[in-house]
Amino acid sequence: MNRREALQRAGLVLGYAVSAPVLAGILNGCKAQPELTYKPVFFNEDQAGLISEVAEIIIPRTDTPGAKDTGVPGFIDQILRECYKKEDQDRFMAGLKAFDEGAKSSMGDSFMGLDPAKQQEYVKKVHDEAIAAKIDPKERPFILMVKELTVVGFFTSKPGATQVLQYEAVPGAFHGCLPLAEVGKTWATS
Amino acid sequence: MNLNTEAQKNNTYDAIVVGTGISGGWAAKELTEKGLKTLVLERGRMVKHPDYPTATKDPWEFENADRPTQHDLERQGVQNRTGYTIKQSTKHWFVDDVDNPYSETKRFDWMRGYHVGGRSITWGRQSYRLGDMDFGANAKDGVAVDWPVRYAEMSPWYDYVEQYIGVSGSVEGLPQLPDGKFLPPMELTCVELDLKKSMKEKFGRALTIGRTAHLTAPLAHSPQRGTCQFRNLCSRGCPYGAYFSSLSSTLVAAEKTGNMTLRPNSIVHGLIYDEKKGKATGVRIQDAETGEQTEFYANVIFLCASTFGSTSIMLNSISDRFPNGFGNDSGELGCNIMDHHLNVGASGEIAGFEDKYLSGRRANGFYIPRYRNVANDKRDYLRGFGYQGGGSRQGWQRMVAELSIGKELKDAAMAPGMWSIGMGGFGEILPYHENKVTLNKDKKDKYGLPTLTFDAEIKENEIRMRKDMQNDAAEMLEAAGAKNIRSHNGAYGPGLGIHEMGTARMGKDPKTSVLNKFNQVHACKNVFVTDGSFMTSAACVNPSLTYMAFTARAVDHAVSELKKGNI
Repeated sequence: MNRREALQRAGLVLGYAVSAPVLAGILNGCKAQPELTYKPVFFNEDQAGLISEVAEIIIPRTDTPGAKDTGVPGFIDQILRECYKKEDQDRFMAGLKAFDEGAKSSMGDSFMGLDPAKQQEYVKKVHDEAIAAKIDPKERPFILMVKELTVVGFFTSKPGATQVLQYEAVPGAFHGCLPLAEVGKTWATS
Repeated sequence: MNLNTEAQKNNTYDAIVVGTGISGGWAAKELTEKGLKTLVLERGRMVKHPDYPTATKDPWEFENADRPTQHDLERQGVQNRTGYTIKQSTKHWFVDDVDNPYSETKRFDWMRGYHVGGRSITWGRQSYRLGDMDFGANAKDGVAVDWPVRYAEMSPWYDYVEQYIGVSGSVEGLPQLPDGKFLPPMELTCVELDLKKSMKEKFGRALTIGRTAHLTAPLAHSPQRGTCQFRNLCSRGCPYGAYFSSLSSTLVAAEKTGNMTLRPNSIVHGLIYDEKKGKATGVRIQDAETGEQTEFYANVIFLCASTFGSTSIMLNSISDRFPNGFGNDSGELGCNIMDHHLNVGASGEIAGFEDKYLSGRRANGFYIPRYRNVANDKRDYLRGFGYQGGGSRQGWQRMVAELSIGKELKDAAMAPGMWSIGMGGFGEILPYHENKVTLNKDKKDKYGLPTLTFDAEIKENEIRMRKDMQNDAAEMLEAAGAKNIRSHNGAYGPGLGIHEMGTARMGKDPKTSVLNKFNQVHACKNVFVTDGSFMTSAACVNPSLTYMAFTARAVDHAVSELKKGNI
């Protein structure tokens, strides 16, 4: 699935008021789980749900689109599957498991069992600890691996590049020293 | 018998050029413009300007954010040693390593693509002249053999090729780096201008905008080429024809004469030598698609197949006269491999320009010409290095390591990050006889042809130079007030500079060199070799412009010799 398809699917799913999985959840009397905006291949449904929520916490929808809107969860699923070495996949998956177990021990429930505020609090805590530890980029812990993929996936997406940042396909000229106020936002590509 | 004669006639041209890259394109243009019916052979697939499949794609149109997949790396793992070539947007310009293997006694990085246009599509486009300091270096230092030419002889040929391809740059008046015929220079950024000032004041060293083969103004003689649009997507191929490639420039000119026959999928694997005539009469090819063997004939042959491509053909061309490889009376064929050693330099952050930014994407950087062992400077090693670098503001990539997440992250990403400057050295490698490439008949490629084995390394002179390359960069950044300076001296495998040179060097004496001063094989005057293999020393500047100048000069000589009946 390419990024366009991912976006189309996300758009389609978002178009429904109540979609099948949500409906099923309500019928079963369970707490409604946020639906997946793509069909995972590398992750199982539970893992995919966790990745989607973490990515959305890292880059949420604001007045501009967020991680889910731009197909980031599907991007993470695909890049892990196609571009990561087996040992890096394993490290990622072990990190995911530990991250979820950490939620249980420190927040009292599995990550997906936490309410959105608690999820956010937990992600922030784990993230800030990881940043403070100043670990070699090659040894990035799970939360920073997800952050890296979310940031890359988001800012290389069309909404990330053109709505949050600015993008010019054919600049036509180069100016090496202009007032920032004249140029405006960060360029999406360099 | 009649059939054979007919076939021979159909396969006969005035000239044959092997290769369509930087050198082959120039040979094709010059030969055809001088009226020779020329067969241009390319081992790879056909590519026509402006058919570059990824050239106008936006970032979100690539799978996996343009990164290589594990499958890509299984096929092109060696080509990926650069770390920047195997991407979804560019991988089709590099060979499949499984089909095109080679052996390395010590780590050797051979980066290449097999298609019409060769590496003129993916080259770095930096274009500098060698000067008298370079042409005289071997003689002065007593290293290897002397260049058989000096700058004064080459200067008009540099003028000629620069004016044809279009080189943007700035005149500096430096004795160690001759100026050229330049199109308007590109702009330096705020912090680069600042570094330039501090380098001049504190070290008396120059910094100039990179001299690059981009059109910053139109060229009247090449109306098919547009000016640079500052997209910085060059290595995908430029649909505007704004940087020089043989596809957008020289092959167009050759085609226009009506004298060129371009044959892709034609792997030349041998030269045909006629003992009685004492001449090469043609080449043997294998069709890459059908496997069919064919012979083509001509009065003059230009090998422009890249340094190791041409050397490989010569090593594989065995006859009674040349039992050790074509024209290899000296035993130097395949020896003296050079490149530019790199992956050493420094970077740092610059404060004080927070209210400034840039616009457009400049596919160029600054250049710091060599200053070591120049004039009164004396080091504990021979030769020197130049730096290539750039100064700009950090983009969204920095967000991964920053503390913010959520809305905060999005807001922070919208403002550009710190200004930073990075520079990396390109150092001269001496020609060592023992740095060599040999033919490996035990290991065959996909086409059943012998492969190459590399045995080359950098030595004490280069290792000493690298210390300066690392420390000087940090010192110059420090003097410019940079903070968080990080210097590096990383792993380097010969070849990584993608400037391989020297395996059929030119020289005055046939006993110690393969080619004469006109790129003619000493022992067979109707064969010319004009790719990087002719280089007698490496200098420290990017070499392609020099290949062009020597190629144009060699064709001029060849045609004049043909007319005189000397070849």
